[in-house]
Amino acid sequence: MSENKNIIHNHTHSDDHAHSQLPSDPELRVKAVETLLLNKGLIDSRTLDELIDTYENRIGPQNGAKVVAKAWVDEEYKKRLLNDATSAIRELSYQGRQGENMVVVENTPNVHNVVVCTLCSCYPWPVLGLPPTWYKSDEYRSRTVREPRKVLSEFGLSLDPKVQVKVWDSTAELRYLVLPMRPDGTENMDETELAELVTRNSMIGTGLPKEIK
Amino acid sequence: MSRLHDMGGRFGDGPIPVPRNNKNEVINFESTFKHNWQAKAWAITLAAGALGEWNLDISRHYRECLPPKDYINFSYYEKWLAALTNLLIDKKLISLDELKEYVAAAKKGNLDKFSNQNVILDDRTWLAEDVQKTLGWGGPSIRDTNVSPIFNIGDKIITQSYSPNKNVNGGHTRLPTYAMGRVGKIYSYNKNHVFPDKNAHGLGESPLPLYTVEFKSSELWGISAEHENDSIFLDLWEPYLNPYKD
Repeated sequence: MSENKNIIHNHTHSDDHAHSQLPSDPELRVKAVETLLLNKGLIDSRTLDELIDTYENRIGPQNGAKVVAKAWVDEEYKKRLLNDATSAIRELSYQGRQGENMVVVENTPNVHNVVVCTLCSCYPWPVLGLPPTWYKSDEYRSRTVREPRKVLSEFGLSLDPKVQVKVWDSTAELRYLVLPMRPDGTENMDETELAELVTRNSMIGTGLPKEIK
Repeated sequence: MSRLHDMGGRFGDGPIPVPRNNKNEVINFESTFKHNWQAKAWAITLAAGALGEWNLDISRHYRECLPPKDYINFSYYEKWLAALTNLLIDKKLISLDELKEYVAAAKKGNLDKFSNQNVILDDRTWLAEDVQKTLGWGGPSIRDTNVSPIFNIGDKIITQSYSPNKNVNGGHTRLPTYAMGRVGKIYSYNKNHVFPDKNAHGLGESPLPLYTVEFKSSELWGISAEHENDSIFLDLWEPYLNPYKD
């Protein structure tokens, strides 16, 4: 095949990795690179502060919880959410980086969905924030596609054998959000109260919403 | 042909590190970053990426290309920082000499000697006032092209049985090893998306049809499948797929 002639390896660092120069203490490592980039004017410290503040304080699972609660009380919204999640989520002003193409998958009495990224750590930032440590762990990434039921049991979730498990491995730029089932006994609750029941893990598929006590 | 990051289905990993409180209940909230250096490693990676010298696929590939011993030993944000450092050098945004100089100072605890009140920002530098706008726009991978998908919903396909990157030996791809050479069914067509196998190597965006493909658990794992009714869905580009006839 002529294609073979095009085989290239366009990395200059493969034999002598620059990162091996870095000190072993990660704090020092980051400080050295950060200071260098700041002094070269390639990054601005106010931008770093704004980014960190955004994902520590403004963007997180509380966003996704509002999407879920709205879908629980508004059947038309739920239809739009399942049909075109990106647009429906944008109705609540959640959009952008790592949520450009959203897909919502619905749990039912017969189907339980769970989301993973086996190749890296793809996660729907605008609705869930940055991923928790366990989501990025080798254990979760390697095992969830092969033994999802065992993995879920470690989160305290035991599924009836009759329930089908659907695992979504985010291998491209689609980002998945699970729509959990509305808990029993919540008929009189409004959207704000319902959002309080929606846990982060229930939107990844490794948990369920809080029960009414 | 695989790399360590391609770990789906691997044996040997222990229990999921699920955080629990002292009543043994699963904790659903944890701080975004446990240490300040993690926040900084993450933020400088985003800010440096905004300079426009590389794309998301290139940065993913750099993380995947860390030597196996480092990939295993590094924590998550250590991988990010190591890959970023290699990118900064390869794209000539910093030099190795500069890096060595700053590292030496960091080890001696006197990075302050470089402090400069008169830094002139590069024209490309991401400004704080643009952060929300840029995040809100994101980096859409869908492209309007006239490429029509060759598969229909419900079609049976078989995935490539070897690493599908035809352009670069050991190159970036998003077809995991565990799903290579397996029969699946087209579940949905998701328009045409930038093709990582080329984009990660600066070979152009080449947007191509992206499908969600359903695989039965038993097709992927044989007799060791946990439950015959379960399915695994992957988002796969057209070149990863071939038609399958029963």
